[in-house]
Amino acid sequence: MASAPPNSELQGLSRLGDGSRDDRLRMRLVLRILTRCLSLLVPVRKHVILLFVGFGTLSLLLLPLGLLFVDTLWTRVLQGHPMLEIEAQFFRVPVAAATHVDSFGPDLRRLVAQRLVVWAAGLSVLIAPLFIGLYYYQVWILQRVNQKLRVDLLSHLQSLSLRFHADNAVGDAVYRLTQDSAMVTQLIQVLVLTPFTAIPQFFYSVIVIGLFAPQLALILFGVLLPSLVGGAWFSQRMRFQFRRARETNAALTGRIQETLAGIKIIKAYGAEKTEEKAFRGASHAAFDAAFGARSLYAIYGMGMFWIFGTFALFITALGTVEVMRKTELAATALGFTIWNLGLYNYFKARLGGSVESLKDIFRTWGRAQDIAIGLDRVFEVLDHEPEIRDAPDSIPLQGVREDVRFENVSFHYQADRPVLQGVSLTAQVGTITAIVGPTGSGKSTLMALLLRLFDPASGTIKIDGTNLNHFQTQSLRENISIALQENVLFGNTIGENIRFSEPGASDAQVREAARIARADAFIEALPEGYDTLLGERGSKLSTGQRQRLSIARAVLKDTPILVLDEPTAALDAVTEQQVLESLAEWGQNRAVFLITHRLSTIRQADQIAFLQRGTLAELGTHDELMTIPDGAYRSLVETEGLAAEAASQ
Amino acid sequence: MSQRSRMEESENLTHWETLRVVGRALRFIAPFKRQFAVKVGLMLISLLPMLMLPWPVKIIIDNVVEGHPINAPIRPYPSLIAPLMDSLAGYSPTELLFIVIAFQTTLFLIIGAFGTSGSEGETAEGYLASGYDTASRTENEANSGFSLTGGLLGLFDFRWTMRLTQALNHHYRTQLFRRVQTLPMTAFDDERIGDAVFRVMYDTPAITNACYRILLTPITAPLHILLTVTILGALYGDQPALVYSALLFLPIALLATLPLAGAVRRTSGRSRKAGATATSTAEEGMSNILAVQSLGGEDNQRERYEADSWDSFSRYRDVFRLSIYAVLIGGIPALAVGGYAYFVAIDGVIAGRLSRGDFGLLITYFFHIVASAQMLGGLWFSVQASAAGLHRVFFLMDMPGETDDPDLPALAPIRESIEIDRVDFGYPDGSPVLAGVQLRAEIGQMIALVGPAGAGKTTLAYLLPRFVSPKRGQVRVDGVDISGVSLQSLRDQIAFVFQETVLFDGTVEENIRLGRADASDAAVREAARLAGAAEFIEGLPQGYATPLGRSGGKLSVGQRQRVSLARALVREARILILDEPTSALDPETEARFVETLHALGRDRIVVVIAHRLSTIRSADEIFFLEQGRIQEQGSHARLLAVPNGSYRRFVALQSGKPD
Repeated sequence: MASAPPNSELQGLSRLGDGSRDDRLRMRLVLRILTRCLSLLVPVRKHVILLFVGFGTLSLLLLPLGLLFVDTLWTRVLQGHPMLEIEAQFFRVPVAAATHVDSFGPDLRRLVAQRLVVWAAGLSVLIAPLFIGLYYYQVWILQRVNQKLRVDLLSHLQSLSLRFHADNAVGDAVYRLTQDSAMVTQLIQVLVLTPFTAIPQFFYSVIVIGLFAPQLALILFGVLLPSLVGGAWFSQRMRFQFRRARETNAALTGRIQETLAGIKIIKAYGAEKTEEKAFRGASHAAFDAAFGARSLYAIYGMGMFWIFGTFALFITALGTVEVMRKTELAATALGFTIWNLGLYNYFKARLGGSVESLKDIFRTWGRAQDIAIGLDRVFEVLDHEPEIRDAPDSIPLQGVREDVRFENVSFHYQADRPVLQGVSLTAQVGTITAIVGPTGSGKSTLMALLLRLFDPASGTIKIDGTNLNHFQTQSLRENISIALQENVLFGNTIGENIRFSEPGASDAQVREAARIARADAFIEALPEGYDTLLGERGSKLSTGQRQRLSIARAVLKDTPILVLDEPTAALDAVTEQQVLESLAEWGQNRAVFLITHRLSTIRQADQIAFLQRGTLAELGTHDELMTIPDGAYRSLVETEGLAAEAASQ
Repeated sequence: MSQRSRMEESENLTHWETLRVVGRALRFIAPFKRQFAVKVGLMLISLLPMLMLPWPVKIIIDNVVEGHPINAPIRPYPSLIAPLMDSLAGYSPTELLFIVIAFQTTLFLIIGAFGTSGSEGETAEGYLASGYDTASRTENEANSGFSLTGGLLGLFDFRWTMRLTQALNHHYRTQLFRRVQTLPMTAFDDERIGDAVFRVMYDTPAITNACYRILLTPITAPLHILLTVTILGALYGDQPALVYSALLFLPIALLATLPLAGAVRRTSGRSRKAGATATSTAEEGMSNILAVQSLGGEDNQRERYEADSWDSFSRYRDVFRLSIYAVLIGGIPALAVGGYAYFVAIDGVIAGRLSRGDFGLLITYFFHIVASAQMLGGLWFSVQASAAGLHRVFFLMDMPGETDDPDLPALAPIRESIEIDRVDFGYPDGSPVLAGVQLRAEIGQMIALVGPAGAGKTTLAYLLPRFVSPKRGQVRVDGVDISGVSLQSLRDQIAFVFQETVLFDGTVEENIRLGRADASDAAVREAARLAGAAEFIEGLPQGYATPLGRSGGKLSVGQRQRVSLARALVREARILILDEPTSALDPETEARFVETLHALGRDRIVVVIAHRLSTIRSADEIFFLEQGRIQEQGSHARLLAVPNGSYRRFVALQSGKPD
């Protein structure tokens, strides 16, 4: 939205039928949205200019030719009136003979007719491909504009916080990317081609008719009054309907996406019928909204045409009376002084032309409402300020030499529900910090703050003494690698998945990373090895295998900070042991954070941070923490340890 | 193991296959026969006023402007029109003018056309702007309403048609959606979600498109031609050249499009596929935004999308280019024929055989015939593009899905045991997963499946709800082979907790109730309590009514895991299968949960897959899997007693004391 204040991210996107954006969208804003898009044409301006020059030249060439051909055909050839000098010259017939009534006989008329037909056909053969070529060029240009808008939109979506994404459906984003953004391709049509061809065409018709009979032109001009009133009445209602149509279709897309993403649960719990019912409901709603919108648009188109047509019929009747009476023309035009059949046909052609151009203008205006709604939905996302933004004077983070420090860090998603409260800890380069604590105690959130996926509500996080928000976010994240709790793999090859954040890594590096993560053996056992294609979300592999791939991905990034969020939860003990050994060796000069529940893993840490309900309950080495009587960590170890003791007996 | 190939259809359809695909689409019309018949009727009715349209123009020119008396025409009126014309005889030109204008205005209101200088008219349509890619083009196709005319008739026709289109599309996309839901879990694993979204949303409209083109065009276009030719023949029987040349457009359009048909099919198929790939890439990136952001994959992901999106645009341009070629190829002969016809008509006027009004009339009819001929000629061409979409739809519909034969008996509530009897299982590509697995568990027992990653534990668990079917051997419940009972009755008795928790964009309560739709509030709360989720849920601002956001994005992984446990518990199924249910839980929560399991397990069979000793230890029977085979089985104590046993080694490592 052009004029709306920047949305804070806490405010979600407009959702289905919440009406949050309707009221703000008035006619003036439709134009503003459309003109805002003009800036999107800037990168392709050279092409746009070339396109217009092409179209302009062709049209200027064709306009007088059209006039010449119509007059020659109707007045001269069909009616037998003598030709004008310019016409005779154009068709290369003897000027003297053709311009006199007596000598402009059937043979000469036939000759002119022949040449006329050949000319028209010849011109079509020459010019039609040029027009088609230009149209193709236009498609290419606008696809490029659309492409840029899509990619910008995707980039922007990627920069919005997780909080934003938790609130908005994937399907909605997909719909905005594919459908809403496509509306940008209609810009030239709506903003330039129609206004700059149809509007002049309408006025041209009014003027020409005015030359014949001013009163008819005045009536024709008067058609604008009811049309504009009707147009305004419809536009408001159409916009409302168009938005609903887009929202319901986006919701349907979201519905399908979510069902497919959760297909396992749906099958396991026999929820297919419920899902199908919900799908039917969403599909119905989408069709109903589309029906409402398109019906209204059709009625609008027809209603407008009824207005134009009634005027045109009325004017035709009056014009016919003029020609019956052979009235003198108001102004001498093109050498004519009185109404005759040729002129009458030309008058009707102009009248028809004016109706066509009005039809064009109002149809386009109707569509423009939909286009504006679509683009509004794109801009709504683009105007969402990312929660995390680089300060203008931010600097790149170049390596970590000393330590990472959390100072009194607090964070909450919702003000009344603190997630972290006053957490302070220091992790030296070259040490392993284990972050331990009950489910939901804020362990993963602490790491999310380190990555600046969120900013702390209060307190600071510093690397080598500099506050995180002084660094460019991108460079910060380049210095941290993370193996996520949920092992996300992409529908790509294994090699590409390991290279995810380091696309330029060599094969040898990829193999080395896989070796460290102990993933090399199973990868090499696959028939296509590193080139094995994974299905979306890597579902072809077992969880333990995926986990190792995501560790390999983190290792490959080769960063000074390494975060492992439950890296080995799905690994069996043997594999876990191997992975941890090689990681310990690899991580010697790095600051490593380990989130884990497993005692065997925790023991490898240099310091242990025990989180409880968002506060740092205990901090120290294993031995230190074990000395705290009734300490939280100690009781954890005892529960787990006893189990293990008991087990191994 | 290139599994994706399984989801990819061949691009090359032969003409014969195209016909089959289209024929199949036509059968889809059956449930909508009546509505379709009405549509055909409406189109036929629309033809009549269209034929009337040029007459007022002729009368105005000949009898009003030029003042020829009506009862002395240059040539006799066709018998159809003659009585009408005769009734107009005797009126003065001015009176005629107003009669004709009144007639035109009425006709205009009804069919939305007046044609003062030919055929100005507006057909009722609701086509909205679309972009230059397949997906956005199809939005119009899915909601296509059209009519030959405008006015009141046209609006009615338009709305009727759009409702019919939508009903058809709704019907078929629901069918496809249902189909996708029944695909076996392993097949679906490799499908790309965005691709399926694309098929359901943007490929299904090809069905309606094909139906309309194939069914309506061959009826209306020849009829229109026939009617026009009849009138022309009656009027200008001495000018057959005009009629013949108009008819020539049919073979011209056909010849121009036939050689391109194959290419259209292929390019249109590729364009759809590229669109689906771009959708998939976007979907994948948005779904996994946490990974993209925290791994710094933004650039990588953007570049992938950039490439895929541009590919879909380019592919669309390929299709577009082909239609240009068709226009150009057909254009030159068409121009020659058109020019000839014009000349013949002009010559007729010059020679005095035709009036100038006749000329206008002839040219108008001529263009009617040309338009219809081109529609017929282009039919084969445009059906090709639909065929590519149809092929993608049918491909998915034809994938073997899980069949739940309604005739199969329902599985009686389980009383005794489950048994897996010498089962082998392998992936479709042949790689073996399970070999000779033998396992039995009785009500009241808790069994644990243990073993290294990739040993086949999850697949083994999938056998019970028949997510996968064994290649050899049997799975039995109370001695009944589960392949002989209805799928639904089997799954109704099983609650499965997956390794990766999946929550839906709904409230906490709705997510838990997915386990059993009719669970009471008390049952939901009790299940949450047992799963250790009650405490944090009650701490949420809206408690059980808190919306979770997309895929439960607002909860921590451990919290999500507990909600999904509650979902399983509320089901009160006799068989409870838990795949790594506690990996993200802290030991305390886990310990409590294991206790709960024991309590619940008294009248159930609990199957648990776990790495954690604390969970495994308490199982009545432990099955240790390695490379798809059960290596050891027995109680914890018994297995520990096996010298050098695999389980023993496993335990030793787990407790951090390798021997």
